Parts: sequence; structure tokens; C-alpha cells
Amino acid sequence: MTELQAEQASKVLDNSVTKSKPRPNRDALIALAVFVVLALLPMLTSSKFLLDFVIRCAAYGLFATSLNLLVGYTGLTSFGHGMFFGLGAYGFGLMMQKTGVAVPVAFVATLAITFVVALVIGAICVRLKEIYFAFVTLAFQMLIHSTILSWVSLTGGDQGLRGGIPRPPFLGIDLSNHLHLYIVSCALLVIGLFLMHQIAQSPFGYTLRMIRDNATRASFIGIDVWRAKLTIFVLAALFASTGGMIMALFVSGAYPEFAYWTISGEGIFINMLGGVTTFLGPMVGTALFLILNDTVTRVTEYHGIVLGIVILFFAIGLRKGLMDFVIEWYVQRRERSGERTS
Amino acid sequence: MTRTRKPGISRRSTLALMGAGAVTFATPWVARAQAKTIKVGMPTILSGRVAQLGTSSRNGVMLEVEKVNAAGGLAGRQIEMVIRDSKGQPQEAARVARELVNTDGCELLIDAEASSGAFAVHEVARDLGVLCIHTNSETSSLTADPKQHIPNAFRTARQGVHDSIVGGSYAAAIAKAKGLKKWATCSPDYAYGRDTTGEYVTYLKRFAPDVEIISESWPKLFQPDYTEVVTKILQAKPQALYSCLWGGDLTSYIDQANIYALFTQMEVFAVNMADYTALTVVKNLPKGIHSGNRYIKTYPATAENAAWGDAYKAKYGEYPTNWSWENATAIMLLAEASKKANSADGKKLAEALRGLKIKSPFGADGTVTMRAEDQTLIGYAIGWGTTIPQEPYVPEVKPGDWKTILELEAEWKKSKGYT
Repeated sequence: MTELQAEQASKVLDNSVTKSKPRPNRDALIALAVFVVLALLPMLTSSKFLLDFVIRCAAYGLFATSLNLLVGYTGLTSFGHGMFFGLGAYGFGLMMQKTGVAVPVAFVATLAITFVVALVIGAICVRLKEIYFAFVTLAFQMLIHSTILSWVSLTGGDQGLRGGIPRPPFLGIDLSNHLHLYIVSCALLVIGLFLMHQIAQSPFGYTLRMIRDNATRASFIGIDVWRAKLTIFVLAALFASTGGMIMALFVSGAYPEFAYWTISGEGIFINMLGGVTTFLGPMVGTALFLILNDTVTRVTEYHGIVLGIVILFFAIGLRKGLMDFVIEWYVQRRERSGERTS
Repeated sequence: MTRTRKPGISRRSTLALMGAGAVTFATPWVARAQAKTIKVGMPTILSGRVAQLGTSSRNGVMLEVEKVNAAGGLAGRQIEMVIRDSKGQPQEAARVARELVNTDGCELLIDAEASSGAFAVHEVARDLGVLCIHTNSETSSLTADPKQHIPNAFRTARQGVHDSIVGGSYAAAIAKAKGLKKWATCSPDYAYGRDTTGEYVTYLKRFAPDVEIISESWPKLFQPDYTEVVTKILQAKPQALYSCLWGGDLTSYIDQANIYALFTQMEVFAVNMADYTALTVVKNLPKGIHSGNRYIKTYPATAENAAWGDAYKAKYGEYPTNWSWENATAIMLLAEASKKANSADGKKLAEALRGLKIKSPFGADGTVTMRAEDQTLIGYAIGWGTTIPQEPYVPEVKPGDWKTILELEAEWKKSKGYT
């Protein structure tokens, strides 16, 4: 993140700081309402495409939003966040294929594995700053990717996990039923976003912003910067891993591409599209990115050119994401109406 | 008063965005309407390093689809191909395949994906129950492993293990005749390279037990510089070299090895050499490289095969690839199956495809068969020959014996625990 962006970010955030306090109850209600709307969607439309789209939004959305906890809130530009996406997909897939445990057990166990791996990698990485941090995370990602490729007996190498992921029903939920998978994905997305929002709005979240803006100052007032960074690194990894698990369920397999740097690149791109200064920016970016990807690939095989131009347009032309514009527009409108009434 | 443009999103662009969103989600209903034509979805790789896989697969398919449509289509329904790029990413392959069936209303799938993408599409076929023909994945386990088996998936590509059996027996005959005992291998470092080389060596040693591998090299896939690999092989001084490098990797390797005159110092067996993608690109094609056939006009040496190759070249300006014939075969089989079943329904077609034997320019004896038990293609032309630097490049191909192939394949399946 450039200083300019950081400055803009703090401006927008300051605005929200003065006007809103953390309101977990209201957030919980909104989350519940969103979930209900999403859950009712299949009744309104028979479009399987829409369901697929929302499932993919859940996978990528959790991944991108968790990346924003690092990039936007803490100023840690991770180029290797995709490794946790891949880890989630492989951890879950392998657990279901090899051990045959119940889905929730595999889910929790995968999170536990991610926790340990993220703790080790994070402990090494978060000491570093800026480009060094970015490159060491990238290096770890490539390490995990190479491990997946070469550990053929366990991971299937570059062919990926084959034979489908078995999903024995649990608590009346059958994930091989597409509708059930859809509802579960929506639930995971909404819960994930809710939790991440609570983290972002908590005192800890504000500590992160302070570290981003001035780490020296933060440590002078007694904050253990390393520990705070490590905590958010691990938390973000857990959400990315959840995204990976949803993706593994969607494609019924796990492939080395899930842990490749291109996934991390897509995460960064999504954040640029949506904007890193607002909590929902990456979620908007995800929807935008997937719509863009799906429509462009349907029309032309030269999608690389189109997506490249869009990236350039956002990076050089706009210099901020879509959500940033929405917020700015909203704030300006309110100010104008404020002027009029006073 | 001048009107200054405020930064931010205008109402108009908001509406435009919402409109775009609505169009995206409304397409499913639009797509339902037609019933007379039958849509066939085809996810493949049309961009990136192996884009040629997708383009030559598409060409092979379209060449045959035109013929089928001219002859009345599949049980009276004209075929409409919907071909989409997966960028070589398995999650995109899965998404595209689902979209083709769920949104675009495709009733059949031609899966022209490579390696992991094919397994991703296979899972989609398992989930949706749609008839799916794998046309490019040569990984044996896709059809040999009973865990992978689903009644609605077939394969019209050659199979890795068939190649290894034929390659191994051909090489063993030459090894015995010329006394080649010290061998080296040089293959790309990924599943295809490792598995194919491993199986090849197994069969080579089986037919010629005194062969010994003295050097192994595993260059990375898409590696640009092979100097290190070439010098390593030269230092080991083997009498023969096996390689399953392919496409651009193989041609760069040959160009670079030519500088060191590697091909004059040992017999070289490169299974993927006899494909026009490699033959026409190498600068100085050395004489006498042993290669398996991929697609070559001269083998099978029939008028039908030569005519098919020429028709393809006349239409697309280049010779067909291995992928072209594999994809064309899928359409030929579908056309015959629809005649037999008198229907274009996926389930009936699948039933008709099992055990179906059709006339084919690519058949070893003029026919190919979709074997019923594991739903994979057998009887296709498979053999080895040596190169010359100009057309027809591989003038004579020694055919593999399908009886031996099938016997050894059954044995191999048993050893893997598949049967």
C-alpha cells in the first residue's frame, strides 16, 4: 500500500470512527438478514448459475476479505496468502478422502492445521517489512506449492486430489446436494464476514490500524507489534483456509493451482477492484472480479488483454477501488445535505 | 454556472452496472429456448503456453462437426459447439463445465482439458450425470482406476500405459539388435513425465533385461535452457537416450542438443517427436530419432488417413496434432452412437457407445473401439519409426501389436490393484 492510499484510508476510516461505535448486535442482525436473503434466493430463481456464482463468491470473498485484514488494516502486503487457501482445500480434501471423518471434524481439524502452519510461517514473516515481507510470504507459498507438486503419494502431484471428495451427511446436511452446499457456503461466508468485521471494529482492530500508520509509535505506547501482527496473520489465514475448503467442495477436489501465486495475485487484484479502505470493499471486488471473469471468458479467449486493461484502469486511472468511490459519494452527499439543513 | 464533474459513481453508471449484472444472471432463461439443435460444451485451454492444445482440439472437432451436420446431425439434431477457455486452471475448467451444462444448456460435454483439468471436469460429470468424453487426458488412471469410473464418462485419447508397452517393446528389439545396454532418460518433471518414463523403463527392462539406466534428468516443465541437462547426459556417455519431452520443450531441447552433436553419439528415443507440432518447428531435425506416432499422415498408411490430414491442412493451414485426431474421434463416435441409438439423449448415447466399433482413419486396422469395460479407446494406430529431416518426416512406422498391448495392459491393471 502506498502512503497516499494509507492517507486516504485513514481519512475514510476516521470518518467512520467518529460516527460509529462497534455494535455487535446490529452487525449480527444485518448478518442474519443477509443470510436469510441468500438462503431464500434458490426459491426465487431456478438459476444454478447464480448458486454456483454465490458459492464461488463465498470462497473467493472470504479469501479476499481476509487478505484485506492484512493489506488494508495492518499494512502487511502479503503475496503468499494463497498458500492458506490451498492448505484449506488440500487439508480438508485429504482428511475426507483418507480418514473418512465427519465433515465438521475435518473442518475443525483443517483449521487447526492452518493455525499451526500460519503460526510458524507468520512468526518468521511478520518481523519483516514491506517488500521483504511480501517476498518471504511469496517464498513460503512457492515452498508449499512445490511440496504439493512433489509429494505425489499424498497429494497426487500436479494431477491434484482425484476421485472426488466424499461427503457423508451430518446433522441432516448432505453436502453432495448442491442446494445444501449452497446454504452451507452462504452460512460460512456470512459468519466469516461477521467475525472479521468484529475483529476489524474491536480495539485490536484499531491497534492494527495504528501499527499500519505508525508502528514505532504503537510500540512506544506499549503495544507488542510483533504479537499483534502475528495474531492477525494467523486469523486471516484461518478465514482464507475456510475459503479454500468451500472451493474444494465446489470442485470436489483440490489442485496445486489453489496454492499457486496466481491465486494470491487474484486476491490482490480483487482488493484493488473493490478497494482496501472499506470492510466490504474486497467482497464487492470479488463479485466484480467473478462477473468480469465469467462474462469476458464467455465472449473472447483474449480475456488476458481485457482483464489487464481493467487492472491498468483501476491502478493508474482510478487509483482506488469501487467501494472507495461509493463511500466518498455517500459522505459527500451527506455533507451536502448537512450544509443545506444547517 | 459551470458544472463541475464530481468524482465518484454517477447514477447513470450505477444503472449501467446493475443492468450488466441483470444480463449476467438472466442469460440462463434466454439459453433454454432452442431444442432442435443440440449443444455440445467443450472446456479447453485456449490461452497461455499450451493454447495450441485447445486450438488444434477445436479444429479437429469442428472439421468433423461440419460433416456430421451436413449429414443431418445427431439423430436429426444439428450440433452446436460451445467452446470455452479454462486457461488451464482446474477450478475454471470445473466452473466452465458446470456453466456450459447449467446455463448454456449443453447436453453433452467434450472435455478437451489436460491433466488436472480433466479430473476436475470428470467430477462435474459425476455430479451432473451429463455424458462426457475426455479427449486429451492420457493419464491411464482416469479410466483404469475403478474409483474414477462413472457410467457417463468416456475417453477417446490414447492411454499412457499403451504407449509405454509399445515403446518399451520397440526399444527392446533395437537394444538387443544393436547391443544398447547403457541408457539415460530425460523427461519433464511432473506427473506425466515421471509416470510415462517409469512405465517405459519397466517394459524396456522386461523385454531386454540387461538394460541399465545410468543417468536420469528431470528438467522443469517449460524450462528454457537445457545446456546443463545435455552436458550431463553427454558426460554419462550412454548408448541410448529416452525422453518424453513434448511440444516447445522438445524442440528447444533438440535445437540445443544439436549444438553438442548429441544425436550422433547415441540412439535417441523421443516418444513425442513424430507430431507435426515438433517436427515442423525444429530447425535441423536430426535423421534417425526414434519416435512414437502422435499424429502423422503416413501412419496408418491409408488413403483415408492421408486425406483427413490434407483436408485439415487445407482448412486450417497447418497439419493436425495428436489432440486433433483424439477430438475428431469423439465426434465420429458420437455420430455413430446416435445412429445406433437413434437418439441424441446422453443416457442412450452412453449405452450405444459402450463397446462401439467404428471405421476410423486413425485405427490400426481401419477401426477403433470404445472398450465397454473401462470406456476407453482401443485399436487406434500406435507404432514407432525413425525421422528424416523433410516430409514425410517419419516415412515408415513399425506398428505396435494390439494383442500384446491388451495382454500386458491387463497384467498392469492387476499389478496396480485395479482389477
